[in-house]
Amino acid sequence: MTIITQTGTLPLASAESGEAVDPVYRQIRDLVYKVSGIYKAEEKLYLLADGCGRRMKQLGARTPRDYWDQLTSQPGRDGELRQLLNEITIGETCLFRSQPQLDALRKVILPEIVAEKTKQITKRLRIWSAGCSTGEESYTLAMNMLEESERLLKGWTVEILATDLNDRSVETAKAGIYGDYALRSTTEYFRRKYFSVVEEKKLQVRPEVKKLIAFSRLNLQDESRMLFTKGMDLIFCCNVLIYFDGASKSKVISHFFSNLNFGGYFFLGTSESLMKLNDQFHLVHFPGTIAYWKPSFKSGKL
Amino acid sequence: MTASFTETIRERVQGIETMPAIPAVFLPLLKLLSSSAEEAKVDEVMRLVSYDNTIAAQCLRVAGSPLFGQAQPPKSIKGAVISLGLRRVETILLTCCLGQAFPAKKWVLDPVVFWRHSLGCAMVCRKFSEKLAAADAEKAYMTGLLHDIGFMVNCMVFSKEFATAMERACREEIPLDEAERATMGFTHCETGQALAERWKLADDVIEVIAHHHAIERSEKAQPLVALVHLSDLLCRMRGLGYGYYERHKVDLIADPAWAILSKEYRDLEGMDLVRFTFELDEAVQEIHALVATVFGSAPART
Repeated sequence: MTIITQTGTLPLASAESGEAVDPVYRQIRDLVYKVSGIYKAEEKLYLLADGCGRRMKQLGARTPRDYWDQLTSQPGRDGELRQLLNEITIGETCLFRSQPQLDALRKVILPEIVAEKTKQITKRLRIWSAGCSTGEESYTLAMNMLEESERLLKGWTVEILATDLNDRSVETAKAGIYGDYALRSTTEYFRRKYFSVVEEKKLQVRPEVKKLIAFSRLNLQDESRMLFTKGMDLIFCCNVLIYFDGASKSKVISHFFSNLNFGGYFFLGTSESLMKLNDQFHLVHFPGTIAYWKPSFKSGKL
Repeated sequence: MTASFTETIRERVQGIETMPAIPAVFLPLLKLLSSSAEEAKVDEVMRLVSYDNTIAAQCLRVAGSPLFGQAQPPKSIKGAVISLGLRRVETILLTCCLGQAFPAKKWVLDPVVFWRHSLGCAMVCRKFSEKLAAADAEKAYMTGLLHDIGFMVNCMVFSKEFATAMERACREEIPLDEAERATMGFTHCETGQALAERWKLADDVIEVIAHHHAIERSEKAQPLVALVHLSDLLCRMRGLGYGYYERHKVDLIADPAWAILSKEYRDLEGMDLVRFTFELDEAVQEIHALVATVFGSAPART
């Protein structure tokens, strides 16, 4: 446990088997964090070990130490790290992935933004799901906004922009058809209200949810497109920046900062950190979740 | 706070000392912890522990937790002193005593929730002060553990009033001290201070108990009060709060406490707060387990 270790090294135990995990994985965890900003907590280290295990099999690496050498020495270390990141973030995509994030959104952030914008004539909320993959996050946001349409967001227009680099992902996202695995965190209430059954064990998002979202292909490194995507209140960019090198990451993040309205929020994945790449955003905590805040103009905190 | 409140609090706190539940070891131990490190005596601690088998056993269990940096649980109190140092053993003992120090009945705040918060805060305070290379990490631990002791006073001698405050905090999802002030006219800071003075705790410990929600009032121990204030906020944002959702946005770096600390400790600037947060998450499970061991005998809410 890193938070407490003061003396010596502690045995690492796999949460499932109870067996000790090779301490090299802790080194790999630190490397992954340094390069990508993804932090694999100690109790989830076995997941990292599993991911490494699959890669080791492919590469024919015999021990975690061999694999460490491949991860850290040229040539091919960048490519291998990318493969590993793929392995360890796989399966993180599902609808309603982070309830604390949604709670913060509906209980703290929305009331704040609504209060701030109350004097504006057009009541419009703009959300961007940047790197939307196959659409799970975008639809989750849309459904949650619809839930507020008779309360906080009464009389408001909600627009969600959902973009991804990958054409095929965007097409899948547009279809909005999901199976049990993607729906594992979706409650019966939401399933009934916002989905229809299309085939056995598959549900499709209803048109009234889709109506809120505009899907399109976008490369976050395309400067001109980034410059024109303005006026956002919320930006979500989950497990996307982890694949970028430091310089490109900084660039995208400063674009996001200017794409946001004053008082807007930027969310990363739940175990992802911006680290020290930007000093304009304020790191803020909500119960169980972290976000980056572009302080409101009048708060004078810029 | 009006003079009559102060008087009422003092009168009711006077009664606490006569309650039978405080372990005999507790007050002498507090006295030991208030003395300077040079005056600390191993024999004295050993003698105190020998009076109480339950506490000795609990102490060994806690000392063996990875949260205290041990791979192997110590076999005796003496062994614990050798591997962990006298000060740490003293604070562990204090932790165990506290679990038994208060009467079972009239809990308004769920004791398990309360101890998770207190122990969590103690851990975060210690880790935080280690990161800052601050002089006395064990002092930080101890003040973190004791900072909310006023809630116990509330439960014991203002249970009806405090129940109203608690109910309001849960209903409106507001910070507990706000609800106390609104319904009772005073908070756990004042009641805790009265008890701490009665117990003749060290001045800086009293200041933490009295001012952790209003650091500007602290005269002699501002950096320590600031450290506990920030740790308390962080715990409440990471699942170690008071058992209900607080609609709260916490900007630790913009908090005046952060500025006070960074004036005192240069290392604060380089600290990776997000990683620190993730590391706290790793400790949460073990904190739950420890609370179950040490405070498990505390009966559930009546």
